[in-house]
Amino acid sequence: MKKNMSFSVLAASVVLAMGANAAFAAKVPAGVQLAAKQELTRNNGSEPESLDPALAESVGANNIARDLFEALTAADNDGRIVPGLAESWKQTDPTTWVFTLRKNAKWSDGVQVTADDVVYGIRRFLDPKTASPYASTYGAFLLNGVEAAEGKKALTDIGIKAINKLTVEVKTPYPVAFLPEVMSNNQLGPAPRHAIEKHGKDWTKPGKLVGNGAFVLKDWAVNSKIVIEKNPQYWDAKAVVLSKVTYLPIEDGFADVKLYQSGENDWVYQLPPGTYEKYKAELPKDVRNSPMLGLRYYSLNAKDPVMKDKRVRQALSMVIDRDILAAKITADGQLPAYSVVVKGTAGADATTYDWAKWPMAQRVAEAKKLLAAAGLQAGSKIKFTYNTSEYHKKMAIFAASEWKTKLGLNTELENMEFKVLLKKRHDGEYQIARNGWVADYNDATTFLTLVQCGSDQNDNGNCNPKAEELIKQGNQAKDAAKRKQLLTQATKMIMDDYPIIPLLSYTTPRLVKPYVGGYTGKNSLDRYRNKDLYIIKH
Amino acid sequence: MWSYAFRRVLMTIPTLLLVITVCYLMLHATPGGPFDSERKISAAVMANLQAKYHLDLPLWQQYLYYLKSLLQGDLGASFRYADWSVNDLVANALPISALIGGTALLLSVVIGIVLGTIAALRQNSLVDYFVMLIGNLGSAFPSFVIGPVLILVFAIWLAWLPAGGWNDYKIHYMVLPIALLTFINVSTIGRVMRGSLIEVMNSNFIRTAKAKGLPMRTIVMRHALKPALMPVISVVGPIAISTITGAVVTESVFSLPGLGKLIINGASNRDYTLVLGLVVLVTVVAVLINLLVDLCYALLDPKIRY
Repeated sequence: MKKNMSFSVLAASVVLAMGANAAFAAKVPAGVQLAAKQELTRNNGSEPESLDPALAESVGANNIARDLFEALTAADNDGRIVPGLAESWKQTDPTTWVFTLRKNAKWSDGVQVTADDVVYGIRRFLDPKTASPYASTYGAFLLNGVEAAEGKKALTDIGIKAINKLTVEVKTPYPVAFLPEVMSNNQLGPAPRHAIEKHGKDWTKPGKLVGNGAFVLKDWAVNSKIVIEKNPQYWDAKAVVLSKVTYLPIEDGFADVKLYQSGENDWVYQLPPGTYEKYKAELPKDVRNSPMLGLRYYSLNAKDPVMKDKRVRQALSMVIDRDILAAKITADGQLPAYSVVVKGTAGADATTYDWAKWPMAQRVAEAKKLLAAAGLQAGSKIKFTYNTSEYHKKMAIFAASEWKTKLGLNTELENMEFKVLLKKRHDGEYQIARNGWVADYNDATTFLTLVQCGSDQNDNGNCNPKAEELIKQGNQAKDAAKRKQLLTQATKMIMDDYPIIPLLSYTTPRLVKPYVGGYTGKNSLDRYRNKDLYIIKH
Repeated sequence: MWSYAFRRVLMTIPTLLLVITVCYLMLHATPGGPFDSERKISAAVMANLQAKYHLDLPLWQQYLYYLKSLLQGDLGASFRYADWSVNDLVANALPISALIGGTALLLSVVIGIVLGTIAALRQNSLVDYFVMLIGNLGSAFPSFVIGPVLILVFAIWLAWLPAGGWNDYKIHYMVLPIALLTFINVSTIGRVMRGSLIEVMNSNFIRTAKAKGLPMRTIVMRHALKPALMPVISVVGPIAISTITGAVVTESVFSLPGLGKLIINGASNRDYTLVLGLVVLVTVVAVLINLLVDLCYALLDPKIRY
């Protein structure tokens, strides 16, 4: 009974929080004068691998997909989940959700968006023939989703169904309290069957791409630019302020900044390493840096003869001074981290270690004791592997010097091409390796996949069956507070095994012109829809 | 000469086959595949992806499959740019690279030869020192230093030209990249021309011409220039290939969507088909340019007959 009550309270609160028909587009504060020309140029960091939302994998491709398409829900610029294609939703039982679509949602060619388009979109995304790299990540939240992606079940067995023209039912394999958050990803959104069937694999090209987002594709010159324009058919078009957005695919940070300085770019994707302090002094109004749900960490290979000893792993983690690393080495506003779950993530608290508050001398003394007990003597050699980059090199040299000066260990630094590192890490052919992760959705489970038993994302080879059980219990829990408590407890248990060395949580140091309105710095997944942005008169 | 040219073009076929085979094997021997990413893909999804791109077949079958498509003029689908075929990508990037590289090459050949000639004829004068200074600067400073300096001066301080990017063949977006490539190439061509002409001017047949009382202009234009151009032609060949097909640094500095960008992204993303497609293209261009160079030798040197 109690369980049922907490469940209905949760469901009601979700629906209430949404507001039924409220429009959640660019909110221009009173007194702000808009520029006559509402055009924005933003660098997107790289050329998208595809504009097909089912195939989008990189941050850049997903950014554009969010403008061209709208999933059932969406995240606004404060990172809150708001209605998207669905105007409301409710959880009818622990593993069933019902989403009601807007009557006035149309594709950019004027055809109405229906529940069938959502079903088609999700089935197409999980179809082995589509071969979406995200299939197992998001498919895991739908009943039979992973099985269908692996070809073991039919697409029609997936937990997605059109109840009527404007209602879809989603079934999950276990209670997923944050399903509305997951459903904001365009991979799980509608797809324009009529356009895809008409144009085949060319359907994402300008003139052919049909979307249901706030913008439509105007021009796409590979490695040069992608131009999108306001979509007049969009249900909330009158709240969209920007008339045109140009996405640039510039990878070189210095080239990006130069275009910004010469006025050809309003948004630097990410400041080049080592320049944050400089631009903070030179362009204080332009520098934006806000926390992001992402973790920089080092993987410790539990199958390695030296690293399989927990005491060694703990000693290596204890002596790295995260405060100095954050303030002096990377010096770009990132925050020290001690947990696999980044601070600010929903679903679990970021855990810490008792020793994090100790004076460094005490930490070193304890670490030395641990190493001695493990039989690893000063002068021993360890090997650190990273992909070639100035940024990672700086961090690696710092870590190696910490291990050398505080523990007497000699670190061999081995750098290699990114793809080679990935291969070695995935195959477990390393001792200590650089690693990093950006949350796919705002819930602790996105980070826990990095350290869970048998998870595809677990490069460390660690496994704590007790913690695994807690995570399972947590995911079954209908009460959000209980779930959070269980997941936090599991996180703590796993972190006490020292499978990884958490170092820093991400921020997004970039330059954004002061006249770009709506850039709140509160979207912790860094998913700024152009729908919520505007140009202030300047 | 025509039959020689024809034979040379025919020789491209075995060359291409060899290059493709070696490149194919090297690409597949390199660790890491096109679908390795930070987010490890589950084994079943990886199998789906490999099946989609025929990577599940034995290597020799993939190779034959590739050759078969190539014969039909199809360079295959790109892994990195999933919405585009390699043909599309090359068709977009080649005209940009060819226009920028070709213009820079033409300018640098003309300017390099003129400057080299002036410097050689006025050896050890102020003009000579000036030309040599430019030559040395161009050789000493790499393009990733000169490029950003050009951007700083002309795009940020003076705000005359854009800092980079590409805008539908608008000329002001091409000025700085062409200027950079020209500057770098002029330094090489100018130095070679100067050295070569000085040597020719000191040779016996020029002394004879001078002794005959021929005017300086006639000596240079009629007798000295042709033999002096031989070493220049030799360096222009490789310069042309690298300028047209792989101005990688220049494209990165100026954010140009040319072939260099595709080569870098293709290689680092293990985009097998894209890299192979570009290798085919570069090989064809190299063979043609080398042929042109050899034909030029015949025009310049009466001793050479094909």
